[in-house]
Amino acid sequence: MNKPTPGDVEALMELFEKSDWKELDLRMEGFELFLSKDSAARRAGSVIAKGNSDVGRAVPADPGGHGPPYASAQAAQNAAPREAPPVPSNWLAVRAPNLGTFYRAPKPGAPPYVELGQQVVADTEVCLIEVMKLFTSVRAGVAGVVRKLVVQDGEMVEHDQVLLYIEPQ
Amino acid sequence: MPLRRLLIANRGEIALRIVRAARALGIESVLAASAADRESLAAKEADRTVILGPAKASLSYLNAPLVVHAAKATGCDALHPGYGFLSERAELARLCEDNGIRFVGPTAQSIEQVGGKIAARELAQAAGVPLVQGSGKLNDAEEALRFADSVGYPVVTKASAGGGGRGMVVAHNAAQLKAGFERASVEAQEAFGDGTLFLERFVQTARHVEVQVMGDGAGRVLHFGERDCSAQRRYQKMVEEAPGAILPSEIRMRLHESAVRLLSSIRYRNAGTVEFLYDVERREFYFIEVNARIQVEHPVSEMICGVDLVQMQLRVAGGEPLPLQQADIHPRGHAIEVRVIAEDPDRGFAPCPGRITRWQTATGEGVRLDTAMHEGAMVPPYYDSMIAKLIVHGADRVQAVSRLQAALDAFVVEGIATNLPLLRHIAAHTDFVDNRISTRWLEQTLLPGYATAGR
Repeated sequence: MNKPTPGDVEALMELFEKSDWKELDLRMEGFELFLSKDSAARRAGSVIAKGNSDVGRAVPADPGGHGPPYASAQAAQNAAPREAPPVPSNWLAVRAPNLGTFYRAPKPGAPPYVELGQQVVADTEVCLIEVMKLFTSVRAGVAGVVRKLVVQDGEMVEHDQVLLYIEPQ
Repeated sequence: MPLRRLLIANRGEIALRIVRAARALGIESVLAASAADRESLAAKEADRTVILGPAKASLSYLNAPLVVHAAKATGCDALHPGYGFLSERAELARLCEDNGIRFVGPTAQSIEQVGGKIAARELAQAAGVPLVQGSGKLNDAEEALRFADSVGYPVVTKASAGGGGRGMVVAHNAAQLKAGFERASVEAQEAFGDGTLFLERFVQTARHVEVQVMGDGAGRVLHFGERDCSAQRRYQKMVEEAPGAILPSEIRMRLHESAVRLLSSIRYRNAGTVEFLYDVERREFYFIEVNARIQVEHPVSEMICGVDLVQMQLRVAGGEPLPLQQADIHPRGHAIEVRVIAEDPDRGFAPCPGRITRWQTATGEGVRLDTAMHEGAMVPPYYDSMIAKLIVHGADRVQAVSRLQAALDAFVVEGIATNLPLLRHIAAHTDFVDNRISTRWLEQTLLPGYATAGR
């Protein structure tokens, strides 16, 4: 059986969120998923099964037998944008509007737009996405507290990738 | 230096075709896709896929800085634009040049030299390539009328900035020209952001023929024979074949020479096509335009010449010399391609996106299918609705036509409507079988008959 695609995982999470279930623990060959509405709940291991970091890539097999070092390294990178780390269900993700380079601060050396635990309003700028020297600011979109920063400064992000989480207030 | 890692800024069958060509040459591939193509076959086969932006092409595939940023951020040293989208934008080629990314295409300068139709006509004239009588840029309908009076009707308006039939109005007299000029200009403005028109004498019975070339950027240009793409609807090609079987051999030779001369004159690099109109009655050909990219219909030339043009593009972009001499290229047999499109000929060719529930394709000797579709695949509503190119090859045209008929009969697609019934009708039509068609045959003869065929 093929591993679930990122789309499948997203669909599962959405169904779970809307349901009155408290926990979901799914284990398949080469794939494990644990969802809980209790932010304190933890199962041993993380959401994505160990040693299986390419689950987010939706590739059943390496079809062409291309160079393994690059292919596997890239597979891991591919997975990154789609893996949603376990966060409380009330936290809201701020996502990248398009592919680009993520910057936490308006310029090198300047203090970041936001820090963990910082209070924001919907209009607060939280980061920059750069495309060929064109910088676009991303706003919080909701009033709350910055709870988790997902992306490192200067990293490439893809469209729809989670940048940070805000707990609404 | 050979290419190491290639960004592919396209989708569908051509993205998959390029992924595989890169793999065959040991080049890593990074597919830059929109969110709608995250699960596509090209995304699965590429070494890596990055999502540029949402489905809307202007926010993903049509954003040149975004595509080049993706290439740089993923460590690519080259970029292949495929066809359509950004493939003929000088802006993309220039951005690549400025950022140390090899563009698998012509130089930005070449794209500008052949991109505008008026500039291209001037280039053709300078290279001694025959042109249909035409005007320069026209400022208004009055100028158009004066030109038409001097060459005689019918005439056709054309947009300076682009093709695809937009901005084209055929006028058989002054009244029609007067009425059509504004309409054509508005259409050109909307399609290309430039309403500039010029005028040409309209050839009544014409064949669309085109020469496939490959240039090394140092002045050497090879040709891979010609194609006949006369079966068109609204200037969109539906059937393409190679060679152009109706051409007398002396004319065929001059056609090839003209194409090579034209593109040698600008030291053209990359795959390219020089399009001509062949006036069947006068036995003369006229330059139309240059397509500075790999074209949809390149497989028919590959089939008769036994070459892989996409791989050759990648080699040339990597600085390798052209791998063969003109004398090594011997067209053999006859090839035909049909474009399988997710549109319903019975409902005004309305696009029919959706989920493919059954996908059974033809196989057998001399049959090739270029597609990224499969059972369960989704045809998204955001893009061009071509879902496959069915290509057949035979020892001669008769065998190719018979293989085409058999392959079309064996092709089953369910879940969405396609133009397969129409393609079968074309392949069985006596005019097509006998190769007695023109550029207006499909619209004026075949389609009216198809509508009343009582299927």
